Amino acid sequence: MLEVTNVRRAFGTTQAVRGVSFSINRGATFGLLGPNGAGKTTTMRMLLGILQPDSGTVTWDGKPIDNATRRRFGYLPEERGLYGKMKVRDQIVYFGRLHGMTDPEVGQRADAWLASLDIAQYATRPTSELSKGNQQKVQVACSAVHDPELLILDEPFSGLDPINADILLANLRALQARGTTLVLSSHQLWQIETLCTEFCIIAAGENRAIGTLEELRRDWPTRIVRVEPRSAALQAVLSATNGARERATTNGALLFDVPATLELPDLVRRLVAAGDLTAFERMEPSLQEIYLRAIGEAA
Amino acid sequence: MNVIPIVFNAEFLRRIRSRSYIIATVLMMLGIVLLAYLPGLLANQFTSATRGIVLIGAPDLTGRAKALLAKDFDIVATYPSIEGTPTLAFLDKNKKASAAAVLEHGGAGLKVTAYARDVAMFRGAFARDLVPLNVALATKLSPAQIDPLLTVPVAVKSLDTKFADESAANIAKGIAYGFVLVLYISIFINAQNVMTSVAEEKTNRISEILAATIPPSQLLFGKILAAGATGFIQIALWVGTGIALGPIALHSFADDSTTKGSHAAAVASSLPDQLGPAVIAAFLLFFLLGFIQYATMFAAAASLVNRTEDLGSLAAPLYFPVIGGFFLAQIALQFPNANGIVVTSMMPLLSPFVMFTRMTVATVPIWQVVVSIAVNLVSAYLIVIAAGKIYRIGLLMYGKTPKFSQVLATLRA
Repeated sequence: MLEVTNVRRAFGTTQAVRGVSFSINRGATFGLLGPNGAGKTTTMRMLLGILQPDSGTVTWDGKPIDNATRRRFGYLPEERGLYGKMKVRDQIVYFGRLHGMTDPEVGQRADAWLASLDIAQYATRPTSELSKGNQQKVQVACSAVHDPELLILDEPFSGLDPINADILLANLRALQARGTTLVLSSHQLWQIETLCTEFCIIAAGENRAIGTLEELRRDWPTRIVRVEPRSAALQAVLSATNGARERATTNGALLFDVPATLELPDLVRRLVAAGDLTAFERMEPSLQEIYLRAIGEAA
Repeated sequence: MNVIPIVFNAEFLRRIRSRSYIIATVLMMLGIVLLAYLPGLLANQFTSATRGIVLIGAPDLTGRAKALLAKDFDIVATYPSIEGTPTLAFLDKNKKASAAAVLEHGGAGLKVTAYARDVAMFRGAFARDLVPLNVALATKLSPAQIDPLLTVPVAVKSLDTKFADESAANIAKGIAYGFVLVLYISIFINAQNVMTSVAEEKTNRISEILAATIPPSQLLFGKILAAGATGFIQIALWVGTGIALGPIALHSFADDSTTKGSHAAAVASSLPDQLGPAVIAAFLLFFLLGFIQYATMFAAAASLVNRTEDLGSLAAPLYFPVIGGFFLAQIALQFPNANGIVVTSMMPLLSPFVMFTRMTVATVPIWQVVVSIAVNLVSAYLIVIAAGKIYRIGLLMYGKTPKFSQVLATLRA
């Protein structure tokens, strides 16, 4: 288990991280979300031991993260970096060796990653000759060739077209299946939403929300109800409901935020009584809505 | 697990296969070949163009002058007299001679008027060779009586047990100069290579992945060792080329039947004796000490830049001790035991150049050698610690290049 307890880190007078805490079970896929400058990268660097926290602790299976532990981890930073003149396969093998792998296993694993990421045809080409998307896949292979216990991916989908994003997603799911603990940061929340089992939203260096998607939704103060048709009678019922607030409406339907504590059967009865109700749907807040609210960009 | 061998292996292969390394190595070898052969070739070209002389004058003068001039000039023709003064056409007609010299009795001695094709190329040896004739005419003594008087035999006896004679001491100076030059060039090239490699990883953002995977200190040492190994190979090739071609070059001078030629032949034959294991061992030791210190400093500086374009300005101060050490070594060749040279031979960064030179050209008290090595070891240790700190922090430092005060703060942390 990865246990992060109240970590803080300042750079000069700037407090980048001010007391972030979370824990991740082995094998879980964890989404670390936050706006630019929230402290995600600094937090990730502290998880990897690249930076030492000013205070607080980071442990893996109850022990501080030392050099030996770090070599069992993998890291895909937001800013990609590869040796441009080194051949693709050599590059993956080199990083595998740095992570403690030896021949012939490292070569076999490199070949397997090249195949699964659909870049085997570039194995003997210098990395600089590849497209940006393919370079990113090489980078993923470099960070995961040793089947890490913990793989931290900072914006893994940025720069990938939908087809390559799907290939990457499939490979991340394969790592999940093999028991790798994944920590992902991404601004493409729809991809994160389907992959991650737990989330932590941070902003201004602080925890804003943490838990599974169900837990985050459970804590959400309102629910969205979708009602058809868009009639004056139904709108009047909804508007008269205590705490309800109309959202932007879609064609032919009414969308209202209502308090999470509202008795929905009672609301349905009142809507039916009002007349012409044809559809009623309770909608869960999306991860994006939860995220925006958590970071203070939405009410 | 120690990853230094893995980093070393990758860096070594990357460097030794790089075009810049191969070009630098081959160019320097070609330079050594040129240095070995060019002086001989140029000298032959030069002397053949200026050797041909026509003598004009009374036969008793031209006959005696011809004998005296024979060692430095080819007397292509002699004339008792010609009509008018010599012209270019006259020189062309006489085997394209470089000059015509009219010899006359003048005052008590000899008067010479030379008509040269190129005044700047008329060689001073002409006047020197005719001195005995001038003295003979003035004193009425025979050349046989004069010749012994024109040379004062000075026997130089060395009080330094290091060298048997002046020739051996001069050879040692030549060796010291050559090795210090190689040390200088090698430190420059290889320390710069380390710097470029670190800057490349920093600007390519590979450094963050590496820092997340392995201890930065092991990464740094792997790089420095690889650069040291490739540098050592370069030096071995250069020195090997120099040793192989040195005697050949000297023998090319030796083919000349002059005293200079016979001296060159003696040097060529004694060169292997002067290049003993002690000189090689001292060179390797000081190369190692110098290289580790400079390469580590250059690596630390490179870790602070965000663009390779900024490397030059940040690293410029680091070149000063390299250049200073090289120039002090030139002084040490002449004055190996001068106070300033003795002091600088025990100062870190300078001593690899200065102490090696002193050890090669003079007898250095053993305590000074020990102090020099100890000072360099301590200095190397401190530089490695300081550079390691800067490197570790610098690798992740993006944005503008840090101020000097920030670097100091990092060192104090």
